[in-house]
Amino acid sequence: MATKFLAKALLASVALATLSGAVMAQEFDYGSFPGYTLKVKLIGGTQYEKLYTRIPEWEALTGAKVEIVSSKNHFDLDREIKQDIASGQITWCVGSNHTSFAPQYGDLYIDLAQSIPASELAKYVPGTLQSAMVDGRLVQLPRVTDVSNLYYRKDLYEDPAKMEAYKAKFGTDLAPPKTFDEFKQQIIFFADAPNLYGTAFAGKDEGMSGRFMEILRANGGDLFDANWKPTFNSPEGVAALQWFKDIYDAGAVPAGTVNYTWDEIGQAMAAGQLAVDLDWPGFAGFYSDPTASKIADHLGFAVAPVGTSGKRGGWSGSHSFSVTEACDNKPAAVSLAVFLTNDDSELMEAEAGNLPTRSATFDAAVKYFNENGKTALAEMFPIWQASLADARTPPLIPQWIEVSNVLWPQLQAAIVGEKTPQEALDQAAAEATTILEDAGILK
Amino acid sequence: MTTDVQSLPQTRTKDRVSWFASPRAIPYVLLLPAIVVILSVVLVPLLVSFWTSFTAYNLTKPATLYQFVGLRNYQRLLTNGDFWWAFGRTFVFVTITLNLEMMLGLGLALLVNKITWGQRTLRTIMMFPMMFSPILVGFQFKYIFNDSIGLLNNALFDLHIINQPIPWLVDGTLANFSIIFAEIWMSTSVFAILLLAGLMALPKEPIEAARVDGCNPIQVFQHITLPFLMPFVYIAMTIRSLDVARAYDMVKIMTNGGPAGRTELLWTLMTRTGYQNSQMGMANAMGYVSIILSIVFTFYFYRKLVAARTFMGGAQ
Repeated sequence: MATKFLAKALLASVALATLSGAVMAQEFDYGSFPGYTLKVKLIGGTQYEKLYTRIPEWEALTGAKVEIVSSKNHFDLDREIKQDIASGQITWCVGSNHTSFAPQYGDLYIDLAQSIPASELAKYVPGTLQSAMVDGRLVQLPRVTDVSNLYYRKDLYEDPAKMEAYKAKFGTDLAPPKTFDEFKQQIIFFADAPNLYGTAFAGKDEGMSGRFMEILRANGGDLFDANWKPTFNSPEGVAALQWFKDIYDAGAVPAGTVNYTWDEIGQAMAAGQLAVDLDWPGFAGFYSDPTASKIADHLGFAVAPVGTSGKRGGWSGSHSFSVTEACDNKPAAVSLAVFLTNDDSELMEAEAGNLPTRSATFDAAVKYFNENGKTALAEMFPIWQASLADARTPPLIPQWIEVSNVLWPQLQAAIVGEKTPQEALDQAAAEATTILEDAGILK
Repeated sequence: MTTDVQSLPQTRTKDRVSWFASPRAIPYVLLLPAIVVILSVVLVPLLVSFWTSFTAYNLTKPATLYQFVGLRNYQRLLTNGDFWWAFGRTFVFVTITLNLEMMLGLGLALLVNKITWGQRTLRTIMMFPMMFSPILVGFQFKYIFNDSIGLLNNALFDLHIINQPIPWLVDGTLANFSIIFAEIWMSTSVFAILLLAGLMALPKEPIEAARVDGCNPIQVFQHITLPFLMPFVYIAMTIRSLDVARAYDMVKIMTNGGPAGRTELLWTLMTRTGYQNSQMGMANAMGYVSIILSIVFTFYFYRKLVAARTFMGGAQ
């Protein structure tokens, strides 16, 4: 019996040792590159640059030096990268990337799945990692994920007069909207222009296309069919566009929202001018900061509404890092990309209110928020994490931005009343068809 | 005879060498570096971009630089309503902006010219708007004209002039007005400075003679001052017409050509086509068609300039 117990104990300790050995083996080896200078092009801006304070740690770890040869906002960086491709001057190794931009760059970047052990990749949120792939190649390592959910003003939703008025008018209790129809109803109900608007939406560029895509998918439609034929001029698409038009015509959003991007929406929400905001996780820190936001003390969070199909649109995307094919020291470049998205880096991103891309970071971040009195962010994180299950990126084809650029002006035309939703979407679908036919994607 | 024929090429070579060594060649040799630089930074890019307008050149696919498509880009442009709307809007935008800038600049120059104390300080202050980057001016006016948090609407609300916000950057007419206003704010001083230089160079004798002959101030301005200033006006017009036709930064920041293309100018359309959509071949075709606009304005103003100088007599 004793021998049997001893044998079992021995077996268990061997198994434990093997397991801990396996765990140790799973630690990523950042390598050693003394004297090497790694050239990188990184997205600039306050919210992105805090992470770069970790670069000296990587330099100390590997002996390499990092030279930031370019630091710009993502649109300017995208333009610069395209010029580099055109001139054949890819003299840098690591570049900031985004799931919406990545398909445009062809074979500029390497397949990271060939250079990073599967055990390391398993630490990333599976859906987020999946959306970082283009044509089956992992061309980017995600650093933060974006998915939209609702920020709302609790003081409005808990105002007895408004609760009573809402109940009297619609026969239901006033609570954060569960469907887009309910969302529209509440946006119009709260609007008291010019002091208070129901909401605001990004009305131009990819922001407009993305929001439309989100409601279109929530209604059960999609941008393209399986053969890449544009299908967004379907009844689901018309209903999605009508949603924007209805709240615009009702004066429930600022008239200028068709020119707004995220900055204006964020400022308006923080100034207490909007009742509800369907927006990115990055705004949580700003909205809950009492020194910058008037709504910090009554900020509520709720998961995004569903459409007529009962699903969420879940428009999602990730900021990321990629490694160039032309890099003269790919192991060093991969090492930096992994380092800037490892557990410690992701915790740093999460502490700033960004949605991390590693599974383990979510719990660690919530613990950090609770310990540091950031209860709003602790409340927000699980809601945003839950919505990741429905997250979907825009179509991962090189022509997405081009299609978006023919789509959003037509969406605007319908919203401001120059065309009917059907006319506008038919026009955009015809132009998108030409783009996809020219590209050889649609036969 | 054989010897003569063989020596002919040698004689020519000697002639060429001796020409380069002669004093006649010195100006050309000295200009050579400038010619090489101009050819490399102006002519070569012009030729390359002209070539790309006949190709399916996609910025992210360098191989498409050699994919010749003939006149396809130009044929598509002919039937592209968005392009021709942008073309027409740019024409109207340039015409209105130039005329308003000229009139305001002339008024400013005449006023400043009357000042005898502190004129230098005023001239410096007048140049302040020109010192700002067009992007910053765009952001400044974007927030001034913002319908919900903008300075202008808030002032109008406080003065009880409006009770509903005015959508300055949304309504087609108001949005174009707002952009023109921003452009005028930034660049009127270019006209003012150039015309002030003209006024300062204005000979006093003809004016005094006209006054002695009994001309009133309006007649002096109409028949003496203005004709003398016209060459300066047309030079300023030519320079500014090229500047305004290239308007991009402010429009990009304030409206990005929207909403629904209401403020789309040639450069916002071309930049979106070339850089965001990567269709550089098509964007360059747009550029070459758009050059027509610049040529029309430049040709018109040069003709007017020559006529004005002829009118001045002896000023040529």
